[in-house]
Amino acid sequence: MHLRVVWAFLKKDTKAFRRDRFFVVLTFVGLLFYIGIFQVIPDSVDEIVELGVSGDIGVLLEGASFDDSGGLSVARFGSEGALVEAVEAGEVMAGLAFPDGFVAAVGAGDPVSVKVITGQGLPVELRGALTSAVREIAFGVSGQVLPVAQLAAEDVVLGVDRAGDQVSMRERMRPLFAFLVLMVEAIALGSLVAEELQQKTVQAVLVTPARMRDFLASKAVFGTLLAFLEALIILVALGALSAEPLLVLAVTLLGAAMVTGFALVAGSLGRDFITVLFWSMLFMIPLIVPAGALMFPGQAAGWIRAMPSYPLAKVIFETTALGAGWAEAAGSIVALGAWCVAALAFGSWVLRRRMVTQ
Amino acid sequence: MSQPAIEATDLHFAYGDHEAVAGVSFAVAPGEILGFLGPNGAGKSTTIKMLTGQLRPRSGTVTVLGMDMATASAQIHGRMGVCFEEKNLYNNMSARENLDFFAELFGLSIDADEHLRRVGLGDRADDRVSGFSKGMKQRMMMARALLNDPDVLFLDEPTDGLDPVSAASIRGIIRQEAARGAAVLLTTHDMHEADELSDRVAFINEGRILALDKPEELKLAHGQRSVKVRRRAGEGVDEVIISLDGHGSSAQLADLMDDRLMSIHTEEATLEDVFITFAGRGLGG
Repeated sequence: MHLRVVWAFLKKDTKAFRRDRFFVVLTFVGLLFYIGIFQVIPDSVDEIVELGVSGDIGVLLEGASFDDSGGLSVARFGSEGALVEAVEAGEVMAGLAFPDGFVAAVGAGDPVSVKVITGQGLPVELRGALTSAVREIAFGVSGQVLPVAQLAAEDVVLGVDRAGDQVSMRERMRPLFAFLVLMVEAIALGSLVAEELQQKTVQAVLVTPARMRDFLASKAVFGTLLAFLEALIILVALGALSAEPLLVLAVTLLGAAMVTGFALVAGSLGRDFITVLFWSMLFMIPLIVPAGALMFPGQAAGWIRAMPSYPLAKVIFETTALGAGWAEAAGSIVALGAWCVAALAFGSWVLRRRMVTQ
Repeated sequence: MSQPAIEATDLHFAYGDHEAVAGVSFAVAPGEILGFLGPNGAGKSTTIKMLTGQLRPRSGTVTVLGMDMATASAQIHGRMGVCFEEKNLYNNMSARENLDFFAELFGLSIDADEHLRRVGLGDRADDRVSGFSKGMKQRMMMARALLNDPDVLFLDEPTDGLDPVSAASIRGIIRQEAARGAAVLLTTHDMHEADELSDRVAFINEGRILALDKPEELKLAHGQRSVKVRRRAGEGVDEVIISLDGHGSSAQLADLMDDRLMSIHTEEATLEDVFITFAGRGLGG
């Protein structure tokens, strides 16, 4: 490889990118937009469950001593109708409509029915928890013991216990923003490659001392640096480099190289901006899924964890939000490195074939 | 002939089942201009792609400046200039930036403005190529091909799209390059240009070289020499064509030299006529 030739290509491509107003504006506006959105997203998690109750509940409330400190806030409503309206309006997450004479009926051992009112989106497990809570309240009111012995349970939390300090949506979205920036720059590189192929400037280049490997290397380096630098800006702006900056930078660099590989494929297959966009989206939309999956608690599905972009999103998330370090990220770095090599090799192979058959 | 600058030996290439080049052999000496003539699809572009190292021949060898293209393409490319038919310039860069970039690929430090002045674009050095006319782009292509003072020049339709004055200027540059010692392989559809510039011409059709010789020799050997005599005939004009190759042509001409004679024109065979006698079709089809 001739470094002089690669350097000449890098200078030329940088110039070409700077002069492409569309991508410059898209990059600039995109960065501002993502940073703006990030600032608007709440940086804390409201862990209090707001519950509405109606009916004969005076004794119940005194006995249960509900208050905000236990993660449950109880609002009282004068009637079942008012409670239903409040649940529908989203003022409370769920409601318990106790019938008039509930306390007396429970005390006398008479059958009684309590309505558990929930909105459409309430998780089914919370609905079940509310039903159980009603039964427990009934036992308490009647003065009877539960039919089973009280179990002793020990909470074991692996890692840092985030109870009361959950990872905010803002923190969960960092990998997504980083990936969006990488994606835009991948499209920019794809367009540059497609233009080079369509205008057949690559033919002119290949009858000079520049070799095909110089051309491929320059595109890979340019795409990786472009994507990395843009991602770096967003990571700094989103405060993602406060913990383990070298680790975050390392995985971002690998991620930039990986999307560059896919960009080379999109650029080779595309004939113009629209077709490059089409091919880029075809690769990038599945690749963005892992970053999206990390926005929600719980473990991602197996196929998501198998995606090339999962290690990138995982390391950024766990490092910036959960305080993970090199040891925890080692496996992901190896996986990402392997994906990076595979994507670059595949992209170079497709581009080389396209150049040869031109 | 001295050591050839370009030597093609029994080149073959096929696109699938279609054999585009079927055993092409020729050589070009330093300082020689070889016109490469043939209709579209005759195999000219494929041959040039093999000669410039863009395509690997299925069989046969390409030797340029004594080096095998299969093993020494980088060294050959450093001493070669190519003017493509396609205007493959970086449109979003200025004329000067285009030349500077390619000079960097050659590892050269050049005065781009001087190269641009040579092709009549000295005053457009800072303008982006995207704003250039077809003729200006063609001149840029020539300037780029000459950046490294090449020992071998491949010129594909170098005057395509140029006005007569610019075309004459480019032809002058081609002659200068040949005079400097560069071997020039010139592909053109313009028979007059080929006739005017080429030391020798090769006719190629259906992947094979049909004839290769000096234009004059080809015209003499395969064309018909004749004169067209125009004479007054009452109110109209009478035209008579007399072959100079036949017996008694002098006597025939003498008979026509009277006061009704209006004009006599030589009817020399053109390269196109000669090509038709070989290929059975013209260069346009």
